Amino acid sequence: MKKVKVAVAVALLLSLGSAPSFAASLQIELALPKPDHGPYHRPYVAVWIEDQAEKPVRLLEIWREKPDWIKDLRRFWRKTGRADQPLVDARTGATKGPGAYHLKWQGDDNAGKLVGAGEYLLVIEAAREHGGRNIVKQKFNWDGSAIDLSLPAGSEIGAVSLKSGK
Amino acid sequence: MKLLNSVVLGSALFSSAVFAHTMTVVPSHFVQSKTGGFITVDLSATNMTFQADKGIGVEGFQIYLPDGSVTKPAAVFQGKRKSLADVALTTDGTYRLENGGSARFFTSYELNGERKRLMGDKQKAAKELPKAAEKVTTTQGRNRAFAFVTVNKPTENVVTPTGQGLEFKMDRHPADIVAGEVVTMTLLVDGKPAAAVELDLSRDGELYRNEPGRVHHTTDKTGSFSFTAPEAGRYLLEASYEADSKSEKADKVRESFTWTFEVALP
Repeated sequence: MKKVKVAVAVALLLSLGSAPSFAASLQIELALPKPDHGPYHRPYVAVWIEDQAEKPVRLLEIWREKPDWIKDLRRFWRKTGRADQPLVDARTGATKGPGAYHLKWQGDDNAGKLVGAGEYLLVIEAAREHGGRNIVKQKFNWDGSAIDLSLPAGSEIGAVSLKSGK
Repeated sequence: MKLLNSVVLGSALFSSAVFAHTMTVVPSHFVQSKTGGFITVDLSATNMTFQADKGIGVEGFQIYLPDGSVTKPAAVFQGKRKSLADVALTTDGTYRLENGGSARFFTSYELNGERKRLMGDKQKAAKELPKAAEKVTTTQGRNRAFAFVTVNKPTENVVTPTGQGLEFKMDRHPADIVAGEVVTMTLLVDGKPAAAVELDLSRDGELYRNEPGRVHHTTDKTGSFSFTAPEAGRYLLEASYEADSKSEKADKVRESFTWTFEVALP
């Protein structure tokens, strides 16, 4: 029964293009911690969605300054940064200090097309000068079912939560 | 056997001071996200992987630019423990940094029971060897030490095998080697998969471990070799190959290379 629904949804998607078929967005809460010691420079942070084959489908945010250090976001650089400068430029935002940030993914890929139902991966990578590098990889099902996940804080990426939303 | 090979090779191709050492080319950075910068490359002969022991000659050091053209370093320094070369990275793409590279001939022989060597091929040896020389063998030897450095998007030009001597091809670009992922490569001699290539894979930090964690492998007739790097860091692959030769210049061919590469964090 469920399969049929998804098939119908996908068919609808294909025919209507932009009409969302299920959970309209993934709401992401992301905290950047304030380190206790040492000189502080704002971290470089990238947030993106990968498919089941770990292929990037949608770059959500890249907070960075000079090009010199983007390579330190190792996975981001290897998977997206080094090969798609226009995309990186289009999504670039200023670096952010300690605090809580709200992001969302609306189920689209980098070309603006809605992705199909399936298992996806939220990836958050952060690297800080004189600090460390953290990577968070969290699987979630993108099929209309509810998402409610909380991830523990690390040294460079604070607590992260994922929720399905409108 | 390996030791013997490297003694002969080392003393033939390089100054006797560094014989039995492994020649390495180690860039300060393997990946850059900006053009217009520089990297500095360590050239050294080592016993432990990446533990610089002797500075080596910089005359044979060459930079293969992403477009395939060859250039020289911006500056060089030959030190006691390591030599340095500054390399300008002016364009996007993958560079090959290589030391050594040209084939040399040497003829070994015995004279009144004593081992001796003459630098030269069979023709030269035929003219210059003493009449009483015995056990004469002429070897064509080539040894290269290299590393790949990539600025922005990786390119294939200087990675693709040329079809000459001992080389390798791989199921991925050198900038795409990641800890925990299986990497498969094929060793080639003159462009064809090569059996009986001796391989040693080692990684940084041997001085600080009781177990060096080296992997030894001899290729079968498919020439293939697979490995999974247990952790991110700098690795060295040493490869050597020896075969009889039917050329007019040598009885044997010996080819070897050392390749320094980076294994990235997942």
